Amino acid sequence: MNAVTQIAVPSPVRRETPAAVAISIRKLNKFYGGFQALRDIDLEVGQGEIVILCGPSGSGKSSLIRCINHLEQHNSGTIRVNGTELTHKASDVAQVRRQLGMVFQGFNLFPHMTVLANCTFALRLALRLPAAEANDIAREYLARVNVQDQAAKYPSELSGGQQQRVAIARALCLKPSIMLFDEPTSALDPESVGSVLRIMEDLAATGITMVCVTHEMGFARRVADRCVFMEKGEIVEEGTSDRFFSAPSTARLKAFLQQVL
Amino acid sequence: MHYDPVLAWESMPTLLAGTATTFAVLLPVLVLGLLLALPVALMRLERGGKAVFAASYIAFFRGVPSLVLLYLVYSGLPQLSVVRDTFLWTVFSNAYFCAWVGLTLTHSGYMAEIIRGGLAAVPPGVVEAATALGLSPRQALFRLRLPMAARYVLKAYQNELLIMVKSTSAVSAITLVDLTAAANTVFDYTYDPFTPLVTAAAIYWCIVNIMRIGFTMADRKLNRHLARG
Ligand SMILES: Nc1ncnc2c1ncn2[C@@H]1O[C@H](COP(=O)(O)OP(=O)(O)O)[C@@H](O)[C@H]1O
Ligand SMILES: [Mg+2]
Repeated sequence: MNAVTQIAVPSPVRRETPAAVAISIRKLNKFYGGFQALRDIDLEVGQGEIVILCGPSGSGKSSLIRCINHLEQHNSGTIRVNGTELTHKASDVAQVRRQLGMVFQGFNLFPHMTVLANCTFALRLALRLPAAEANDIAREYLARVNVQDQAAKYPSELSGGQQQRVAIARALCLKPSIMLFDEPTSALDPESVGSVLRIMEDLAATGITMVCVTHEMGFARRVADRCVFMEKGEIVEEGTSDRFFSAPSTARLKAFLQQVL
Repeated sequence: MHYDPVLAWESMPTLLAGTATTFAVLLPVLVLGLLLALPVALMRLERGGKAVFAASYIAFFRGVPSLVLLYLVYSGLPQLSVVRDTFLWTVFSNAYFCAWVGLTLTHSGYMAEIIRGGLAAVPPGVVEAATALGLSPRQALFRLRLPMAARYVLKAYQNELLIMVKSTSAVSAITLVDLTAAANTVFDYTYDPFTPLVTAAAIYWCIVNIMRIGFTMADRKLNRHLARG
């Protein structure tokens, strides 16, 4: 498999707590004002595991993934990332975010910066690397997502698929041990979807931990170790991707799969 | 009534001295106004007491005519005993100081509103991306949000700046002889209103257009990413 060697294994940050667990979520609750978006979520993601989150719109998938890197604050329950408990303290938040890379549906590239500058921005500011070193790292990851030729361009000059691959490279530059994806291909035209999914498949094969919200069920089937189905803020069913797709046990998942497959 | 080039040439030293005064008033006001506007704009974007304070600040200083403000600072404040009977009297009896204070307050009110608008236009997702990449809120503000906001507000800032150039002429009300006042002095001595005022207008026109060219160049540099897209 050539694809496997394309992306280096980001060194996983190992800690004293159960070495195999990357993300551990217990009794997580999240409210927006009076509205409960997440209800008693329990979820464990092992190191190197690829977990796909799916479910109807509004079921809380984004809320869950955003709570993990504290873009949303959870109201109760615990989230541990590589052993560090995510409190609302700035130092814990920073420590957790260092382990995580995030890819958004809308790319969220810095529009006024070149592709290269997008990738070096956090290296220079958050890690305080010298420019030359940051550039080397950025070019390496841009090459891995096949946009090395676009380094001097601005995001607006790229196709959606290229922009999303830049966003993936930008996140990988910081060598996270866990990648979070929130519908990374939902804003893309059909031709671009494939290019992004291929990169993600390559990435999945490197041993990185991934939590990915997606409606691409074919992709989920191919790469997922485990699939999680959410509805109305709750985890309704989860299982290995084989069982999840071929033998769903709840009526709600059956109905959902019928709709999306 | 005709334009008298000889008078224009002879009054040039007076008018240029006035121009110098205009800049001596303007430049500190631009710097101080911007520095003051930044925290006000940031408070305006928060919730609760700070936002109410910032909103009142903006509403007040945009609402009060700068001429009224200049009179208040120059003539009104020294009536208060805390100013009259202390060292403050020395500073507030200085017309330049009063001009800086008065115009800075007005300018900062407008600038706060411009900066607030620029910051509000920055897509939240882009800031989240920076946050997720490990930037601190402070870094996100100074290295991402403000640079992006600056690009959005260039046009609005240009307008405000040009208006400020011309509104500095209000300082003649508190004894400073700026460009407009200098032109008026020439009129007083020569009984020719036309020549000095038209010459002054031409000087304003040059100042304003040099600034406009500066803005065009800044826009080309800062907003390259839009031009090519
Ligand atoms: N910032 C917010 N404020 C209020 N309600 C929100 C906010 N974000 C999400 N919600 C609500 O929470 C629920 C879950 O949203 P979300 O996590 O985005 O779901 P999904 O990603 O599965 O579509 C939805 O009903 C949505 O309207
Ligand atoms: Mg969502």
